[in-house]
Amino acid sequence: MLTRNVAAPSSLCPILPYDWQFQVSDQLLFPHNLNPNLNRCCSTRKIKGFRLMANFWESIRSGILKNNAIQIVEPASTLQEEEDPVPEEFVLVEKSHPDGEVQQIIFSSGGDVDVYELQALCDKVGWPRRPLSKLATALQNSYMVAALHLVRKLPDQEGNEEKKLIGMARATSDHAFNATIWDVLVDPSYQGQGLGKAMVEKMIRTLLQRDIGNITLFADSKVVEFYQNLGFEPDPEGIKGMFWYPRY
Amino acid sequence: MLSRGIISNFRTPAIPFPTTCKYSISDKDLESRGFILRRTISDLNLDHLNSVFVAVGFPRRDPEKIKLALEHTQSLLWVEHKRSQKPVAFARATGDGVFNSIIWDVVVDASFQGIGLGKAVMERLIEELLEKGICNIALYSEPRVLGFYRPLGFVSDPDGIRGMVYSRKQKKKK
Repeated sequence: MLTRNVAAPSSLCPILPYDWQFQVSDQLLFPHNLNPNLNRCCSTRKIKGFRLMANFWESIRSGILKNNAIQIVEPASTLQEEEDPVPEEFVLVEKSHPDGEVQQIIFSSGGDVDVYELQALCDKVGWPRRPLSKLATALQNSYMVAALHLVRKLPDQEGNEEKKLIGMARATSDHAFNATIWDVLVDPSYQGQGLGKAMVEKMIRTLLQRDIGNITLFADSKVVEFYQNLGFEPDPEGIKGMFWYPRY
Repeated sequence: MLSRGIISNFRTPAIPFPTTCKYSISDKDLESRGFILRRTISDLNLDHLNSVFVAVGFPRRDPEKIKLALEHTQSLLWVEHKRSQKPVAFARATGDGVFNSIIWDVVVDASFQGIGLGKAVMERLIEELLEKGICNIALYSEPRVLGFYRPLGFVSDPDGIRGMVYSRKQKKKK
């Protein structure tokens, strides 16, 4: 059982103003043991990526500290954030085990999803099986496929790492006006940490940056509140979602 | 389950159209009344289409963006008025090509409403999607046209599923 080195009082991660310093951002992003590998994978993104990640970290950290409520933290400068290009891949969470093993949860929006792994993940959350070939086609035809991978770097094996799919969400779009988010799922073993929230939030930001202004989805009644907390409104102005001869 | 584009069983849906005539108005009838059904964007004048959108209350959109949207649209159908050669009805659907599809931009020119053109376009669009094997067909309906979609077979909020839209202005804070 891993212990997480997360012990951050709410004052430690304030929302930083626009012109923060790079050095400061290191400390605020991840708890303790800053992995040099983190800098490697993020160094090309420059400061801006870290600014974005801080808010993700803040919301995840809040989610960890508060057991139930996942809190949305309003960024100091929304406009600035939307102007910064969202990196296609970055480390969302990092945990260090006393024996030296490092676990990272990596977000990617490049569509790097193994369809067999996805099938297994869908099984884990209890969704009915869908034909593999259709799953693969659906992914190919999706405008954006976001994924969460758990990467475990073992201490004694240099360069050897395990990578496991633990979350996915995808969006279809006409590339201009509308996008619809489908199939949001997180491995039950990793739920409750704010990962789903982070994934969807990042998707939204990417879509908005690509100037796709109408972001929609259909939510089961149980998760309407989850999406409301992310900024989605049910039935705006009385507009209703409708389905053709739905089978329940 | 619908939000994930899964139907709970995989049986082929029965086509709910009467067996004698597939559609409410046949292609032939439409043609005899002076309308041609089109299924591609060739010959579609986007400025004319944009005018129809604006006339029914859509915001005026950049024609280049409309072109981009149409190029990335799974299926579309429009009705051309023979005499004026203008589009008078339109609908399109986007999706992943296997599980889910959403219908957008359903419009009928105000001067040609009430004669079954909207229905004609919708019936054919749905059939095209079904033929591709897509069983999850959804759309977002303004309240005043719920009565247009219901007779076509659409159900709002089935099983408590809610359509949601992202709003930059509002964010619920706990």
